[in-house]
Amino acid sequence: MTLTDVRPAGTRRGPARNRSRNRAQNRETLVLLLPALIPVLVLSVGPLVYGIMLAFTDARSGRNTETSFVGLANFGELLTDGDFWESFRIGMVWAVSVTVLQFLASLGLALLLDQDLRLRGFARVLALVPWAMPPVVIGLMWRLVYHPDAGILNAVLGTDVDWLNDFSVALPAVIVVGVWMGMPQTTVVLLAGLQNVPKELHEAAGVDGAGVWRRFWNVTLPQLRPVIVAITSLDFVWNINQFSLVYVLTQGGPGGRTRLPMLFAYEEAFRYGFFGYAATLGVAITIVVLAVLGVYLWRQMREAD
Amino acid sequence: MRRWSAALAVAAVVLAAGCSSGGGDGDGAASGGPVKLRFLSLAWQKESIAANKQLVDEWNKANPEIQVEYVQGSWDNVNDQLVTSFEAGDPPDVIHDDSPALSGFASRGFLLDLSSSLPAELKSDIPQPAWDTVTFADGKGGQGVYGVPFLQESQVIYANKKLLDASGVRIPTSDAPWTWDEFAAAAKKMTKGGAYGVAWPMKSPVNKVLTLGLNFGGTFFTTEGGKTTVKVGPEEREVLQRIHDQLYKDKSADPSALGMGTADPLPGFFAGKYAMVPAGVYLRQQVAEQAPDGFEWVTLPPLKGATAQQGATSQTLSVATDSKHPQEAVKFISFFLNGPNQAKLAKGDWLLPTSTAAAADPAMTTKENFWDVATASAKNLVVAPYLKVNGYDEWKSKVGAPTLQEYFADKISLDDAARKLVEEGDKVLERYAR
Repeated sequence: MTLTDVRPAGTRRGPARNRSRNRAQNRETLVLLLPALIPVLVLSVGPLVYGIMLAFTDARSGRNTETSFVGLANFGELLTDGDFWESFRIGMVWAVSVTVLQFLASLGLALLLDQDLRLRGFARVLALVPWAMPPVVIGLMWRLVYHPDAGILNAVLGTDVDWLNDFSVALPAVIVVGVWMGMPQTTVVLLAGLQNVPKELHEAAGVDGAGVWRRFWNVTLPQLRPVIVAITSLDFVWNINQFSLVYVLTQGGPGGRTRLPMLFAYEEAFRYGFFGYAATLGVAITIVVLAVLGVYLWRQMREAD
Repeated sequence: MRRWSAALAVAAVVLAAGCSSGGGDGDGAASGGPVKLRFLSLAWQKESIAANKQLVDEWNKANPEIQVEYVQGSWDNVNDQLVTSFEAGDPPDVIHDDSPALSGFASRGFLLDLSSSLPAELKSDIPQPAWDTVTFADGKGGQGVYGVPFLQESQVIYANKKLLDASGVRIPTSDAPWTWDEFAAAAKKMTKGGAYGVAWPMKSPVNKVLTLGLNFGGTFFTTEGGKTTVKVGPEEREVLQRIHDQLYKDKSADPSALGMGTADPLPGFFAGKYAMVPAGVYLRQQVAEQAPDGFEWVTLPPLKGATAQQGATSQTLSVATDSKHPQEAVKFISFFLNGPNQAKLAKGDWLLPTSTAAAADPAMTTKENFWDVATASAKNLVVAPYLKVNGYDEWKSKVGAPTLQEYFADKISLDDAARKLVEEGDKVLERYAR
């Protein structure tokens, strides 16, 4: 394709010769791509296809189990599985609130870091610190923060709340950690977007008499729009697929109040040994995420036009 | 970038494969080297880890041809870890776990049936009721013994001696324990001046309720014609209702202790906020070590309902079916769990040994730290029906724990709780019957 674009068919060489040459070059390209393609096929596509296939079987853990094809039975079971839908509801609450809060907090931080502050470089580095930590370490650290007796939070607030074990505050407490953890990448992306907003636009708007708020609303935000759409959709996918953080913080407790869908699928597979059903859960979650994202992106695109 | 990481990944895979096959060769007795066993231990208290490691060292010195490697595991995630290593075909040879977890692994064929390979000495040292806690269906219609039970836990009551004496109630003994009615009356008497008579830490309520339920003959599960169903009848409701009454009718139990784990009420207990805390015998270790100077405490024997029976769950050592050296593994277990060694392990974990020889050890019957009360309570342990239920773990985490927590928090009635336990529970168990 690109070759014909670069060298349109109006040259002196015959079109037939051109095509065979193209084919040869295509083959070469393919050969050159192969080393990069193999790991993608083996490490990404392979497990994905295997996982999708598992979803249509009754695979279970065990030495003496036989796996057979069960068609859509797993999906039928899924539709009536109240525990899964409860977990899914929690997952949506978690993903939406973390994504929205993360976006708002990061936008504020990015705007701040975009100003000509003293020690700006230092502040920008500080803002990145959570990014450098693995989720497990973050989980352990926050578990200490939330500890009912030794935790710094109860000490500062003078309260006596068991944050991670209370039925009503456990999910909000975990959401706060989720927001904290995801802020750096959102901030960095938004900051990069902010720096690309042409200064002239601000100046022109200023000359026209627009105040700070007005300039933010009518200049900065529209310019930032593609960046915002991209980062919020990515954040949403990351958040709904979150596993390690909750696994370390609460293991899905108390009484399943923080059991995100991925944790639910993990338990089905590695605690109870229903591999087939767990694969079905994975496929179903993927479909739902794609659908939600599709609708969101489609609406954003339409509004942008 | 991607190509490099791919190359690295390939290299890692090759290396890993090379290592494991190399290890396999090295393992074989044919190649002349010593047999290597991996022992996954879940010991977590300091003294207990020390006791475990010391026994492994002792064994390694005495048996140069069978070398045991101590691998540290954790109760938090041992069963997830085992599922993955069993499925991958590379489990530890000797596995430390507890009897509720064995039933599932046994029926899936991951554990070796030890009934014919254990030495007679070990078999006769451990009484039959303990062996019953590790005897399960093999998933193919037969029965087998899938572990050696070694440490057991019973539920006792810790009491603040000053508050207990001041209340003037009868002090129970192992021969004449309190009934639940006496316990309720005592808790009421000790509730005064801002102190509660009792704190029920119910963060993980299921095992506690199910084991105490046996006091009134509550089994929670029945099996008819090979099909297990949940049962919450009058017997099962007794203990549930009595704990609930203490919380909301007598107001002798502190509702804010409900979310606590077993050891969490201790600061309140030391401060005189709670007069009594029901918990497992192992908690004596933390009470003895953390009690402030001058704080006097006693261990009261298990309560009595219709009987004083409690459900026994044992810590166990099992051998993986995929182990390359099952005979050597059994030999190691026989050494590790003989009478004198069990006494050491029990002392390290402040639990009750199953071995009759170990139970007779003077260290197990001393008055110090109430070992006598703890050891005497072992006679009440009977095999709990829930041990044999395939799918118990899922029932516990999806149905049992949330329902009991809601009931004890007074969010649902006893009838609602019973209905949930049965209806939702049966649905869970059905998956395992297929």
